[in-house]
Amino acid sequence: MITVGIDVGSLSTKSALMNNRLEVIASDVVLTGGTNRAAAETTYEQVLTKAGLTRDDVGYVVTTGYGRENVTFANKHLSEITCHGFGMHLINPEIRTILEIGGQDSKAIRIDEHGNVENFAMNDKCAAGCGRFLEVTARAMGVPLDQLGEVSAHSQNIVRISNTCTVFAETEVVSLVAVGTPIPDIVRGVHNSIAARAASLLRTVTISGRVGMSGGVALNSGVVRALADALKTDIYVVDNPQVRGAIGAAFIGQRQVASRDA
Amino acid sequence: MRTERREGERAAQYQNLLGLMGEPHGDRAAAPDALIKAIRMRSVMNCHRLAEAYRETSKVAYVSEQFPTEVVFAAGAMPWNIESMAIMLAQSVDVNRIFQLTQEKGLSRDICSFLRGPHGMMLANCYPTPDVVLTNDQPCEGLAKQMCLAGKRFDVPVIAMNTPESFDEDAIGYVARQIERMRERMAAELGLEGSSESLQRAVAFSNDAREYYRKTVALLETHKLPGISRELQEIFGMNYFGARENVTLCKALYQAAAELAKAAPGGGKRVIWIGQVPEETHELLRHMSREVEILYWAPLWNANLRSLDETRSLHSIAERAILYHWNAERMSVELERICDRFSVEGFVIVNVWGCRNIAGISPMLRDFAARRKIKHITINVDLVDRNNYAFNHVKNRVDAFLELMQ
Repeated sequence: MITVGIDVGSLSTKSALMNNRLEVIASDVVLTGGTNRAAAETTYEQVLTKAGLTRDDVGYVVTTGYGRENVTFANKHLSEITCHGFGMHLINPEIRTILEIGGQDSKAIRIDEHGNVENFAMNDKCAAGCGRFLEVTARAMGVPLDQLGEVSAHSQNIVRISNTCTVFAETEVVSLVAVGTPIPDIVRGVHNSIAARAASLLRTVTISGRVGMSGGVALNSGVVRALADALKTDIYVVDNPQVRGAIGAAFIGQRQVASRDA
Repeated sequence: MRTERREGERAAQYQNLLGLMGEPHGDRAAAPDALIKAIRMRSVMNCHRLAEAYRETSKVAYVSEQFPTEVVFAAGAMPWNIESMAIMLAQSVDVNRIFQLTQEKGLSRDICSFLRGPHGMMLANCYPTPDVVLTNDQPCEGLAKQMCLAGKRFDVPVIAMNTPESFDEDAIGYVARQIERMRERMAAELGLEGSSESLQRAVAFSNDAREYYRKTVALLETHKLPGISRELQEIFGMNYFGARENVTLCKALYQAAAELAKAAPGGGKRVIWIGQVPEETHELLRHMSREVEILYWAPLWNANLRSLDETRSLHSIAERAILYHWNAERMSVELERICDRFSVEGFVIVNVWGCRNIAGISPMLRDFAARRKIKHITINVDLVDRNNYAFNHVKNRVDAFLELMQ
């Protein structure tokens, strides 16, 4: 039986298609834009096309992410905290602590040996330390988002950037650019700022076992490096980290089908 | 000394209050039939005490949370809990206007809305002018400062009580002497004469009400009783112990609980709500109540279950005042008792922006939950000021917690 997980996030909508051997057959990412229902429809169609399947081949659809409840064709919807827990467990059962940084929030999740969530914490008050924070500061520096990690590797000095407010941080970055601070140093400062906030969040759930990172920000090697330094431990980064929630959702779909058929 | 009260001042303030009435903020959750009588009785009592407090001839004492109201009733005054009144009235008044007023006066939005609310109500001049302000310095020092501000604003005496943390004879005697001096000052400066007979009567009413309250709590230990915990929270918040009608209210609630217990209704897993409590129709409560049964923490505290010693009233009131103190070690012991007796499986730790008390005990709560393998969630939220909160900001984490509870 084929299941599909769809993660309707604030910036992008992801989908993953899984068979009953728990293999991911196809995945897809689209920008969410203004209508998350339309984005879910688009990525659903695209992931089916990639796998050469139709909707009739799908036995169960689980949605997650902020727009999860708007997807009318879903059989079940769950928070992305639960889905990322299973998604990460599936790829590496040694992982017990997960940092997931998405577009507008970051989550520290602790899971047990079966992938069940034991504890979690999320950022509040402001999106500082999230994907949006990187987006805003990258724009202020004129650096493409996907090159931030590489640019920060050339840093020679540490610049301190506050992590209380995205807008204030942007002002800081603009000021630093204006006085001629080298861009790699500022980028590294931004990454350190995110890592400091993430490390505090992770400590509130108690770090144990292997630490893994998922969510789109895990694609930024600079943030991963800064986090590893802050925690003094290796960070396990999965392939396609931004699709991990959708994979977890598809996995939960498989479990639902299995218990229904049992 | 205070300036003379203008004629018609309280009538005008009552009109100001009525002028602030707005649309209800949410659907009223359907209450079980057995509980309707107690809820209506509470509504009528609240209407009555509002009307009484706005009468020109009433003696009104502003009091802070968990203040020993028996002393106020014994002196023939109306206790006006500035914090819980603001929360109760927040269901009806235009709270945006209230918070705008506080901002216009430079009060930061980072300050807990449970403090800004009463301040805004005073700025809107719709609280009845007090004759005296009575305050203790716990659980919230911010509230104690607010009380002092209220005294200055209305130019009335502020009588403050200091409650030590330690629970021993020295501390109890120290608090009892303060209460005695408070009574003397109220009599000397305000003519609020509280005879020993009137104190004894208030203590007896308090004990009678407490007896029903305690029996209701005992039923909640063994039965899932929808709506009962909320009513206990309301009675705790009103803090009307010492008034005759509170006995009737607590009795009605107990009868409702006994009736509900016969039907033995089911319910979701139990969680306790730790921290400030929003009004009962708040969307966060309604959302969570679909999946879990919410018990409110504060009404279950041991201090609320004690009867007063009628032969040593002040000593006994002093004991209770100290037990209300937010002492982390005693709270931990209390949590053990509550978790065991009420079969609690989850904690919802609610930290309203700027509340240092909850922030201070949160590590203890999280450690406790981890040790007892109790699922928990911390929500940083503003339960009253909609400018600081959107349901969608917290819904995701609440849903994850509810999934954890399943």
